[in-house]
Amino acid sequence: MTNKIFIFLFFLCLIFPINIVAQSFTSPSYQIQWGNFNMTGGKKTSATFILTDSVGQNTPGKFTNTGFVIKSGFQYAYDLYQPFSFKIDNLDLDFGHLVPQVGSTQTNIITITTPSSHGYDILSSENHPLLTSNFSTTIPDTTCDNGTCNQSTSAVWTDSTKYGFGFNAIGINSSGVVTDIGTSNFFIDDTYYRQFANLQASETPQVFMSETKPVKDHSAKITYKINISPYQSSGFYQNSINFIAIPKY
Amino acid sequence: MSIFDLTISPSQIEFILKPGITITQAYEITNNSNQEISLNTEVLPFLPQGNNGSVVYANLSQNPNILFSLNNSDLALGQPFTIAGHTKKQIVLKIKTSANTSLSDYYSTFFVYQNQNLSNNESTFAQANGKIGSHILLSVANQENPKALGQIEKFSITPKIKDIFFTPINFSAQVQNQTNYFFKTSGQITITKDNKTIKELKLDSQNVLANYYRRLICQDQNICTISPPLWPGKYIATLSFDSNLNIKSTSVSFFVLPISPLLFLILTVGIIFILKRSRKYW
Repeated sequence: MTNKIFIFLFFLCLIFPINIVAQSFTSPSYQIQWGNFNMTGGKKTSATFILTDSVGQNTPGKFTNTGFVIKSGFQYAYDLYQPFSFKIDNLDLDFGHLVPQVGSTQTNIITITTPSSHGYDILSSENHPLLTSNFSTTIPDTTCDNGTCNQSTSAVWTDSTKYGFGFNAIGINSSGVVTDIGTSNFFIDDTYYRQFANLQASETPQVFMSETKPVKDHSAKITYKINISPYQSSGFYQNSINFIAIPKY
Repeated sequence: MSIFDLTISPSQIEFILKPGITITQAYEITNNSNQEISLNTEVLPFLPQGNNGSVVYANLSQNPNILFSLNNSDLALGQPFTIAGHTKKQIVLKIKTSANTSLSDYYSTFFVYQNQNLSNNESTFAQANGKIGSHILLSVANQENPKALGQIEKFSITPKIKDIFFTPINFSAQVQNQTNYFFKTSGQITITKDNKTIKELKLDSQNVLANYYRRLICQDQNICTISPPLWPGKYIATLSFDSNLNIKSTSVSFFVLPISPLLFLILTVGIIFILKRSRKYW
């Protein structure tokens, strides 16, 4: 009897096949056979309902094990599911040929947008001071007019006989007008400069722009300045500047 | 001219999990520029710094009981990859805790950063690079809701005596977390006069990390503040938290006096008096 039912079901399946829809991705070099497709998650609302969901994640939601409860799944984090954006409008800072005792400057603009309920910090560092390609000579980081600025303290740097490399950051609005928003605690005005934290000397990246409230498209103009002495060895000096954007936790 | 323009989502993740559990988290990285960008990934532990949610990366070593890796079939943590202009890439971070992980909080940041590419230009050149991070707050616990416990470290009002008009009254508060697990602030500052509530300022929901402190801010405000005019008298401001946080409430008082009307009155009387006296002499 059982065999008859089995044979009947087998032929039924052959006559009326059912399409099974599955997800897979292939290319000449790989095939994905596991699934963790995060399609959506979070809070949906209308005038009449509120729904929280997780679609596409492995083992979403609460699960229990030997009497304990663990939270996982991204619906628990829906308040945080908002993007964090950071932009640097020009990465190539070409100072060309330097003239002794004439400050050479370059500028670029950084822009940040943070999620709701989060502020941000932007930190800066350099891989090393400006250095010739044969690693023989450096342009030292500036100590400003009175020798008081470093990677965490700004000071006035307008004296053409004070040499080095440093930067200033000033908050601006979308029209380029100075607002000082985000930077006022770090640079009083555009005559103030500081060093980049030197990673080669084990200095830690330093915050130079920060706000405690959520922001949208807040910008700052960064001015990089090099001033060399008449005795500075000629050559092409280069380094790498790092800007790190992180949200407030 | 090359550009760095990235978006990372989510900007922060928070998990409570048992030791020995593995979880995955998908991040969406969007290249908002029209240029292809070469990127890399890393996870760095951080320590809280200051009282407003800042962090410091002081060459800390990662806890060996918590392993981070990528679940992408074509990508490992620390392996360079590219994203074409105006496209997105999903990166799935796998967090594996060993059964020996101590019951505590662990804080890290998942970074996506630009590969350094120094120019060969025949000029003096600084190459800027961008890096964007998303925090990971991990609580390794044996219960779903670890018990919170804290205390108010500071609750002050400036000025303590003020005029009924002009400058606002600012409230400054800081709370200390006395446990090994972070909690979110939830509460209010209630301002009363003659046992009647004048105003209630809701606290913004902020993370206070384990055994650390945080300055409180109010919803939609950077500083908790109330604006004049206020009736003269003695006011009491009470900072209280939701009962599940186990933080004792604290009250402080301040006085509002009719200083400017009194000064105006004195000034007016004085002017009238001087005018009257001067008339006598004329």
